[in-house]
Amino acid sequence: MKLQKLFVLVLALVFTATAVLAVEGGNSRKGKYLFKKNCKVCHSEGAEGGNVTPLSKTQSQWDRMFKKAKHDPKAWENLSEKDLLDVNQFLFDHASDSDQPETCG
Amino acid sequence: MRLFLTLILAGLIALPTAAMAAPTLEDLQLQIKALSEELEDMSELVEQAETHVAKDRINWYGDLRVKADAVHYDDVTFNPGVKVDFDAFAANMGAFSTPLTALDGTVLTYDETASPNATNVYNLLVGNGFPAAAAKNLTPLTSMMLANPGMVDGFLAGQLTGVKNFSFPVPQKTYDIDNDILYSTRLRLGMKAKVSNDIDFTGRLTMYKNWGDSTAVKVFDSWDAFTMDGTNSGNTTGDLVHVERAMFIWNDIADTNFYLSIGRRPSTYGMPTNYRENEQRGGTPSGHLVNFNFDGVTIGYKLSKVTGVDGQTVRFCYGQGYESEYGNGELFGGIETEDTHLGGFNIDLINDGMHAVQLTAFRAQDINDGFKGVFAFPTAYAPLFAPTMNADMQKFPTFNFVTRYQPSATIGNINLAGIGYAYEAFNGASFFGSLGYTGSESTGEAGMFGGMLSDAVFEAQLNDTKDEIIMMPARAENDKDRDGYGIYVGMQLPAPMGKFGLEYNYGSMFWTPFTQAQDDAISSKLATRGHAGEAYYVFDITPRAFIKVGGIYYDYKWTGSGSPVGEPKEVDDVLDGKAYSMLPAIDTAWDAYASMTVKF
Ligand code: HEC
Repeated sequence: MKLQKLFVLVLALVFTATAVLAVEGGNSRKGKYLFKKNCKVCHSEGAEGGNVTPLSKTQSQWDRMFKKAKHDPKAWENLSEKDLLDVNQFLFDHASDSDQPETCG
Repeated sequence: MRLFLTLILAGLIALPTAAMAAPTLEDLQLQIKALSEELEDMSELVEQAETHVAKDRINWYGDLRVKADAVHYDDVTFNPGVKVDFDAFAANMGAFSTPLTALDGTVLTYDETASPNATNVYNLLVGNGFPAAAAKNLTPLTSMMLANPGMVDGFLAGQLTGVKNFSFPVPQKTYDIDNDILYSTRLRLGMKAKVSNDIDFTGRLTMYKNWGDSTAVKVFDSWDAFTMDGTNSGNTTGDLVHVERAMFIWNDIADTNFYLSIGRRPSTYGMPTNYRENEQRGGTPSGHLVNFNFDGVTIGYKLSKVTGVDGQTVRFCYGQGYESEYGNGELFGGIETEDTHLGGFNIDLINDGMHAVQLTAFRAQDINDGFKGVFAFPTAYAPLFAPTMNADMQKFPTFNFVTRYQPSATIGNINLAGIGYAYEAFNGASFFGSLGYTGSESTGEAGMFGGMLSDAVFEAQLNDTKDEIIMMPARAENDKDRDGYGIYVGMQLPAPMGKFGLEYNYGSMFWTPFTQAQDDAISSKLATRGHAGEAYYVFDITPRAFIKVGGIYYDYKWTGSGSPVGEPKEVDDVLDGKAYSMLPAIDTAWDAYASMTVKF
């Protein structure tokens, strides 16, 4: 195949494919910061809520938890809707069934 | 599931009170019966699921990348030659001048009028005191000079003393190469299993092929065209699935923060190359210094649990890159190489999702002049090194015999050190920089392709049948320590539908990292001695699928990128015919690519 044809094909693919883009999510990097700042107080080893990390749940389990707000609402008071979306995005992106760093520990 | 069952039971208990109003006792009994039947069904289902989970020992995941590369090389130059010790040559002149005879004992001669070169050979010998009749004899020396006019010119000019360049009788060629389209498919299957609470297994199977080729062997035209242990996951090797990684990780040993991991290592695709790969960190060591498969051991300590600094980990890694005895015809007792061992530290000072600082310090001990590997013998070498084989091979110019290479000399050691930093901003932008150092030590030994960052000096000797002068590597031209430096910087910015990335790297003359398994079509860009720049655009279609379009430009300043064997030459000198290169030297090259990756 000629080079030009290939690039036309790729561009066509890109534009048809991106039409099915997932819904605009939260900011995962900010979510990590918010998670550490707001959740870790109660959710580190030995704290009242027990240790919670992104690996505690699968992606859909996290989404379910946030959708149904299955948590004592008082603990989440400080967080705006956008903040919670960011935390949700972070936990989703690093959930137990997400891509993990492929290091030796 | 258990929670669900508890809920149902709670419902059952609560039912009589909630439903007090209308239903009769009979209704209730019926309902209870129906519910308990359902419960029974369910626990059966749960049991089935449980059995399935228990038997499902391995967790599979993976990714598939299809890629198209348009590859272009500018000013590829093939100008082969070697360095010869002409003093040693002179010392053997007597043996080299023994006349060759036919089977019946008659002395063979050549026609000194057949060509200007033949006349030159004759005059040279007469001028050096040979009697006229003896000067016409065909000897190993005269037949060599008849095939190498340049050599005769050198002798005539009185230049051939000490160590001098010796060119092969092929004219220098410079040409461009266009490969408009090169397709490849890379399939990676990851495996994970929980062995016990503290012990995990992880592995990865990889198939990486270019379309229309499943030979798993390439004609040797560069060190990338060499199927070998360290690089076969990053070089196309047909439809074979290779075990790229397989190891166990034993965490929290004896309730400490120590862990141990042994097996085929995650030593490819490390930071900061993960940005251009559009994936999570793909390996432990710095991708700027090491991108090479190793079998080995890691002892790690999760310092973060003591200091509280996220991701802080100290790792001692050890591995073997070459086994000198086993499999090398050990029982014949003729082995002269050493095992190659690699050891050092991989330290993550911090890795908290915003800042990542990595320190790397390694030593590769007893490096040989290559590794064990398989390649197809390049036809272009036959006239240079194997005139007898060439006599037949030239009738089969496209029949490349497959051969197993093993190195012949232990050439030295290399120390590697690096520091890398990556910053990930809230807005999705990432920036990174990495500095690398490679320092070599030489034993002064050399194989056919050279010694440690030094050329081989060849000595002329008679072959076993004493009718041909052959050149054999005797030693390295020098045993100097060599320092190499590399820098690698890049950024990735959020952009409509994905991200946009820019990267640049530079390697000095003696830059010698172990990144040959980096799967770029032309060659590992991070091994480049010279400049390499890359720009790309990633379209994130879904969290698990993306399209990447980009290009890499290589500007090689010195030859031999990615290899510790042989002295790097200025590419300009090879182009000008002032320096030789046993492998074709590339001046500049570019690779425009488009790929689509799906993760599953
Ligand atoms: C004031 C303390 C506190 C804070 C702050 C807090 N939690 Fe919790 N969380 C708890 C307690 C208490 C529980 C109940 C623990 C239990 O049931 O054992 C809990 C339970 C949980 C669970 C387990 C629930 C389940 O359904 O499995 C998760 C997950 C969780 N929290 C996530 C979070 C996240 C994410 C944040 C931050 C956005 C957060 N928590 C902030 C106290 C807190």
